Amino acid sequence: MIKVRTILALLAICFAGSGLMAQDQISPSRKQAIDSLALEKVRDLSKYISIVGNKDTPWSEANRVIERTLELFADGAMMGVSTLNSQDINYYGIREYLERLMALNYDKVNIQWYNIQYISDLERQPDGRYVGVITIYQRFEGTTKEGLRYVDVTKKDVTVYVERKTTQISGRIIGFWDVLLGDIRVTETKPGN
Amino acid sequence: MMKNSVVKPACIQSRLRFAVIMLLVVSLGTGLSSCNNQKKLAKKKAAQELAEKTAKAKTDLLAIINDDGKMTLEEKEFKLASVKRMNLDNQEIKDLISQAEEKLTKERASLEQKKEEERLQREREKKERELREGGPYQSINASFDAVAGAGEVSSANMKIREALANFTNEDVPVLILISSDGDIKDYDRPTSIRKYLEFIKDQKKSPNKVLNAVFDSNGKIKELELIKK
Repeated sequence: MIKVRTILALLAICFAGSGLMAQDQISPSRKQAIDSLALEKVRDLSKYISIVGNKDTPWSEANRVIERTLELFADGAMMGVSTLNSQDINYYGIREYLERLMALNYDKVNIQWYNIQYISDLERQPDGRYVGVITIYQRFEGTTKEGLRYVDVTKKDVTVYVERKTTQISGRIIGFWDVLLGDIRVTETKPGN
Repeated sequence: MMKNSVVKPACIQSRLRFAVIMLLVVSLGTGLSSCNNQKKLAKKKAAQELAEKTAKAKTDLLAIINDDGKMTLEEKEFKLASVKRMNLDNQEIKDLISQAEEKLTKERASLEQKKEEERLQREREKKERELREGGPYQSINASFDAVAGAGEVSSANMKIREALANFTNEDVPVLILISSDGDIKDYDRPTSIRKYLEFIKDQKKSPNKVLNAVFDSNGKIKELELIKK
C-alpha cells in the first residue's frame, strides 16, 4: 500500500512538473516579439544618447531625455567609456554618464550606433527572466571650436533583461514584458574616419 | 378479206390513246404508292425522333428536379433552356418544366440572397476596418505622425499640445501590443500618453497605430491601445 502511494505521489510530482514546464514555454512568435522589443529598446537608447550628446539640443530637452533614458535601465546599471588616448575603461552610472556626455568640451558632438544585433540570444533563467546580450558599434565624433576632430569607433555589449510582469489598468490585469538594459561594456575601441 | 384486215387510222389512234392513258394510270398508281410509303417512313422517323427528344427532355428535367448539388445553377438553367427550346407538345414535359422552373427560381433566389449576405458582410468588415484604421482613429494617428514629422522642438511641442487635447489628461494609459497568441496578449511596458508623444518626438518616428480607444462621455480618450503599423 505504501509503495502504491509512493508511486502515485511520484506520478503527481511528474505531472505537476511537466505542467510548470509547459507554462514556461512560450511560442516562437511570442519569443520573436520579445527579441524585437529588446532590440527596439537598444535602438531607442541610441537615439536618446545622440540627443543628449548633441550640442544643439536645448538644456531642458536634454534633461528630459536623460530621465526617459534612465527608465530604460535596471537600477545600478553601468556604462563603459573608453578613449583612444588611454587603455583604461571607466565605468559610470547611467545618469552620471549622460550628464558627462552633455557637458563634453566639444563644440559639436555626433554619436551614432549601428550594427545593432544579438550576440547572445535571450535565454530563460531559473528566476524566469530572459537574459541576452546585444552588441552595438558606436561612432563618436567630437569637433572643437578650433576645428579639431576626435573620432573613434567603439564596440559595446549591452546586457538585456526581459521579465514578464502584470499590472492593473482600469480594473483589467495586463500582462507585459518589461525590458531593462543592464551594464554596457566596452569590448573594442579603434580610431574612426 | 383484205378490206376487213386493214385497220383504220382512226382506230389505231384511238387504241394508242387508250394505251397511253393506261400507261399513265399504271405509272401514277405506282408513284402514288411509293409516295405513301415515303410519307409513312418520314412520319415514323419523326415520331421516333420526337420520342427520343421527349425522353431526353424528361431525363434532363428530372435531373434538374432531383439534383442535390452536383450541378451548378448555371448548368441546370442551361439544360432547362435547351428543353424549352424543343417546344415539345407533351403535358408531362410541360409539368416537369414547371417543376424545374420553380426549383431553379428558388435556387436562384437563395443564391442571390447568399451573395447579398456576403456582400453585406464584406461591407461590414470594410467599415469595421476603416473604423479601426481610419475613421475615428484617423485623426489620432495623424496627430502622432505630425509629432514625429515636426522638425523643430518647438513645433513638435506644439503638435504634442494639440494631440493631448484629444485625451482626458496626459496620464491616460497607453498600451502597446507587441504580440497576440490566441487569448494571450503581450504588451510593452505601459506608458502614459504624454510620455508616448514625447517618445515619438525624440525618436522622430511613429511606429504604432491605434488599435483601440476608450472614450469618456465628453468624447475624450481615457484609454489607448496601440499596435505596430
